[in-house]
Amino acid sequence: MSIVKTEQLTKVYGQGATAVTALNRINMTIQPGEFVAVMGPSGCGKSTLLHLVGGLDQPTSGQVLLDDRSLSGLKDDDLTTLRRRQIGFVFQFFNLIPVLTAVENTALPLILDGMKQADAHNQAEVWLTRMGLGDRLSHRPDELSGGQQQRVAIARALVAEPTLLLADEPTGNLDSRAADEIAALLRQISHEWHRTVLMVTHDPRIAAHANRIVFLKDGTIVDDTRLSDDGQYEERVVREKMAVMA
Amino acid sequence: MSVRNAILGLLAHRPRHGYELHDAFEAMVGGEQNWDIKPAQVYSTLNRLEQSGLVVEDGVAQDGGPEKRIYMVTDAGLAELRQWFNEPSLSDRRRDEFFLKLMLSLVVADGDPRRLIYTQRAGLYRELHALTAQRSQVNPASQLAYILLLDQAIMHLEADLRWLEMVEARLDEISRQPIPEPAERPRGRPPMDGNR
Repeated sequence: MSIVKTEQLTKVYGQGATAVTALNRINMTIQPGEFVAVMGPSGCGKSTLLHLVGGLDQPTSGQVLLDDRSLSGLKDDDLTTLRRRQIGFVFQFFNLIPVLTAVENTALPLILDGMKQADAHNQAEVWLTRMGLGDRLSHRPDELSGGQQQRVAIARALVAEPTLLLADEPTGNLDSRAADEIAALLRQISHEWHRTVLMVTHDPRIAAHANRIVFLKDGTIVDDTRLSDDGQYEERVVREKMAVMA
Repeated sequence: MSVRNAILGLLAHRPRHGYELHDAFEAMVGGEQNWDIKPAQVYSTLNRLEQSGLVVEDGVAQDGGPEKRIYMVTDAGLAELRQWFNEPSLSDRRRDEFFLKLMLSLVVADGDPRRLIYTQRAGLYRELHALTAQRSQVNPASQLAYILLLDQAIMHLEADLRWLEMVEARLDEISRQPIPEPAERPRGRPPMDGNR
């Protein structure tokens, strides 16, 4: 069973003579627990790929399957629910709400999903503590460093216990030390907490934390490189765990 | 040359026997996964250093097992070490195997330069991944030396990857330029001056 599968995934922007093919029939399969980096020159389609996988944008043709379920057939409401519960998003510019504390920012997806505030805050605290921010719970974004803000954003992305984390240039706005820490954290999220991570980056040093790199060029996959077997090992562990639970 | 000078340096730090030198070298470079030297190489280097008068025997250690000859550095050895410290260590990055492969893949009939670049890139990324993992295991409070060593390797790999990216971007351009032929050298005797 794959967690993400794309079939002939194609995205064309514009029409007629000015049409630009951002993605051209991408076939890609990602197994549970993998940490995959997507790389390529700017304009190669890597962010488009991430947006389509996350259901933030519609493909021109082809489809995305999450847990073997096609996103194409979903109604808007179902897609929104699926995004909120199954997918976590992390962006370059953190996208935190300035007037809310770390706990309030992190708890927001749960409250929007109907959870009681006290429960949502408890769960938010758990994830913030896992992110090493146990002593920053009541801080607002402007009281936190860039690296800490991104940790809050990651906690918020994971608080609803999604299986898939999508990260678009998550270290693009950080100095190299904080960037390394965030990349190591994403690795931990995949290895220790068995979330699947799909990350777009242009930074080789950040990509090297992943277990696999998919290289895009002009909207197609030109190379798909496995960096180590840890991902496959993790995948086996996850499969065995799921078999025990079933 | 660097192993020989490193042994001189370790003996200038304090006298040791061969096996201690081997272990001290490996500890300094963060283990055999970084720089693997064999005990035999240490002993043969010690012999040559002794013959050149750069080290001398400084007694024998015996702790139950066989005797171990302890070496110390001589004044001549210290002078050689100082000279090594006074020279910059240059790397000759122009002698590059991948560059040769790339140039030849452009002209050999079934050469595939783009595939060559991707294979190289995958190899460099695997190395970068392994070094990154190794670096994350190192304790910055007690093992700063390894961090510096690993960072150097990581930064060189990053530079190699950036260069590969540039080569890929300019591959079509390079493909249109044949690799340079050697300048033609005149054969036989040089021509006589016409006036004579």
